[in-house]
Amino acid sequence: MTEPILKVENLSVDYEVGAGVFRAVSNVSFTLSAGRVVGIVGETGCGKSTLGQAIPRLLPEPPARIRSGKIIFQGTDLVPVPKHKLPMVRGTSIGMIFQEPLNSLNPAFRVYDQIAESIQIRHWREIGDLPMFRPGPTPFDYSRRPMPKAEQVLTKPFLPGEKVQEAARHRLVSRDDYRREVLDYLRLVRINDPETILRLYPHELSGGMRQRIMIAMTLSQKPNLLIADEPTSALDVTIQAQVLTLMKELIDEVHASILFISHDLGVVAEMADDLGVMYAGALVEIGPIAEVFKSPRHPYTKALLRAIPNQYKTDGPLPSIPGNVPNLSRLPSGCAFHPRCPIARPVCRVETPQLPEISHAAACHFADEVANLP
Amino acid sequence: MNSTSGVGGTEGGTGVPIAGSAAPRVRLPPPVSRGRQLRSGAVGLYRVLRANPLSFVGFVLVAFTLILAAFVVFAPHLVAHYGAEQQTGVYNSAPTLFRWPPSFAHPFGTDGASYDIFSEVMLALPTDLGIGVAIAGVALIAGGGLGLVAGFWDRPGHLSGYTSSFIMRVTDVFLAFPSLILALALVASIGKGTIQAMIAIMLTWWPYYVRLVRGEVIAVKHLPYVTAARAAGVRETKILTRHVLRNVLEPVVVYFTLDIGTVLVIFSTISFVGVGVPYPSSAPEWGSMMSFYQGNYPFQIYWWAITFPALAIFVTVLAFSLLGDGLRDVLDPRSRRALAESAAHEPPPEANVGEPPVLTLPLGRDSPSGSAALGGAP
Repeated sequence: MTEPILKVENLSVDYEVGAGVFRAVSNVSFTLSAGRVVGIVGETGCGKSTLGQAIPRLLPEPPARIRSGKIIFQGTDLVPVPKHKLPMVRGTSIGMIFQEPLNSLNPAFRVYDQIAESIQIRHWREIGDLPMFRPGPTPFDYSRRPMPKAEQVLTKPFLPGEKVQEAARHRLVSRDDYRREVLDYLRLVRINDPETILRLYPHELSGGMRQRIMIAMTLSQKPNLLIADEPTSALDVTIQAQVLTLMKELIDEVHASILFISHDLGVVAEMADDLGVMYAGALVEIGPIAEVFKSPRHPYTKALLRAIPNQYKTDGPLPSIPGNVPNLSRLPSGCAFHPRCPIARPVCRVETPQLPEISHAAACHFADEVANLP
Repeated sequence: MNSTSGVGGTEGGTGVPIAGSAAPRVRLPPPVSRGRQLRSGAVGLYRVLRANPLSFVGFVLVAFTLILAAFVVFAPHLVAHYGAEQQTGVYNSAPTLFRWPPSFAHPFGTDGASYDIFSEVMLALPTDLGIGVAIAGVALIAGGGLGLVAGFWDRPGHLSGYTSSFIMRVTDVFLAFPSLILALALVASIGKGTIQAMIAIMLTWWPYYVRLVRGEVIAVKHLPYVTAARAAGVRETKILTRHVLRNVLEPVVVYFTLDIGTVLVIFSTISFVGVGVPYPSSAPEWGSMMSFYQGNYPFQIYWWAITFPALAIFVTVLAFSLLGDGLRDVLDPRSRRALAESAAHEPPPEANVGEPPVLTLPLGRDSPSGSAALGGAP
């Protein structure tokens, strides 16, 4: 068992808006091992995106606030890290693909400028011009190096040693260096005619193209952990299939661990090794994806799977879950799902079930009875 | 992003110092060469201007005004007569107390001292343009800078939030007074004169830019692409100076261009009231000219004396207004492309005139999937 790349422990995130406090994420724990893909599914407003953005600490604080918990990335807890050191982790260590391809590219810059900026950040971190997050005892102790003293600069030989020359040769300085790299990444995401695309503005591209350029930007930084927040939900089905195929190929190519957030069970089934199901801000079930699909252990998962439109069942209305998603500022007592649960008992109203630490876990008092549900 | 250069850094985590290879931290090079970029930019500008005739007029007028001003500054004798020449001119026989209406020799007429009003109006041009650009420019830099800071760093309950609210409250205090009245009051307190009047208007002018820029920054800073830049590891200062500033720039530059005209009018008004540029002077100003002529030359008889300085103000302000409208189209990449394409009248790409492609479906009538797809008919 390798060291997990990401370990989230009892993470709770609140939104403090006006008078109310919205418990967007409550007590979420999971582990993401290197090279794995964890899918997170749930209804709209269940806290998936908040969870995804909380990991690289991208949520605007305020209104968001990490109430408790740990986000242990490569052995370092990110929660107490001061704001000005966070850029070190983002990009090259934790990359992110957003759900709005239409707005996630800066309308004022050409495709080239956007990808080249990502490449430049990664490159400067690699050659040590910018501080970089590194796993280890002092991962954030890479503050600005002191300016070289004048006599140091003057006494340096004009032609540096062999190793130095080697490093200098790999510096990206000229236009051609950056252009070549940008073209490489555009080809990596299978964009036809990258030389033309390079010079276009985002509004001149289709949604699928923009999403692929977002992916190229993120991948060009070679992140260890990729958080894909509904990367395909704004696309139509054919483009969606292309992007998914592409991402699957890329997973093999870049060996990144991926946290794949989606509301589409089909998409997640395509991508993920493990599946986590969220309801009202809490992780209600997590396990290997085949097991969760075959024998769900939480009534919500069961109901969710039953609600997938099925080509074999053509008569009658689509099954749905009665009731509504609870208001996150006034969560029901006990198990948040009990008002809608077919097997709820009095104990569910009082006691909040915990997620046990087993491979296929469900936060339900009666997890064993779920198999008997229709 | 603006830390030190690469001296003494480490390479790829291997700890190899790359001393001495202090390549300068360069800006991102453009995708195509500068020359090509400039050329395509010029072509785009031309197309935009052609697509919008009014902004084309504004552009030409402003260019003409600037060229004229350059002539006045560097070769004044080509544009304006001076006193000595006037004394030997056509009106030499009646050097004083005679005011000639516009004629071929004096297109704007003359005033009582036989001064050529055309020359006066021309001599005032660089002064007025300089004053307009200087006041609006100072207001843009000071107000815009404050607006950027106030809009971008406004976390409530923190130092940034307090700074932001302080800036905005001071702005509100200034905006509570009508700026012309406030400027007049300031001039009255710091004394008459060109510089004093300019300082007074600058002091009342920056709050508009604070408000404009802050509003734009707040609108932009929550957009997904700013979050995306943050997620890519871009630092806050660079997000502000690169990602946010570039998207805020467009309305601000448009406003600035329109504002040069407004400032001109305000300054002329202050001069007209008699607390700005003195007249007659070696560097006249249109407002003070009008003030002088209005007092000494009744409009009913000597209509030309006041009409032509007024026309000069009108044309200059109009030129900048039209240019501002045109700039809005040039600066926004979306409308720029659309306009350039509509102006270019490019023919649609050649239709493929050969054989139409044969659409082949993998479904045969006999194959089971085919008959199923066609409704299961046998």
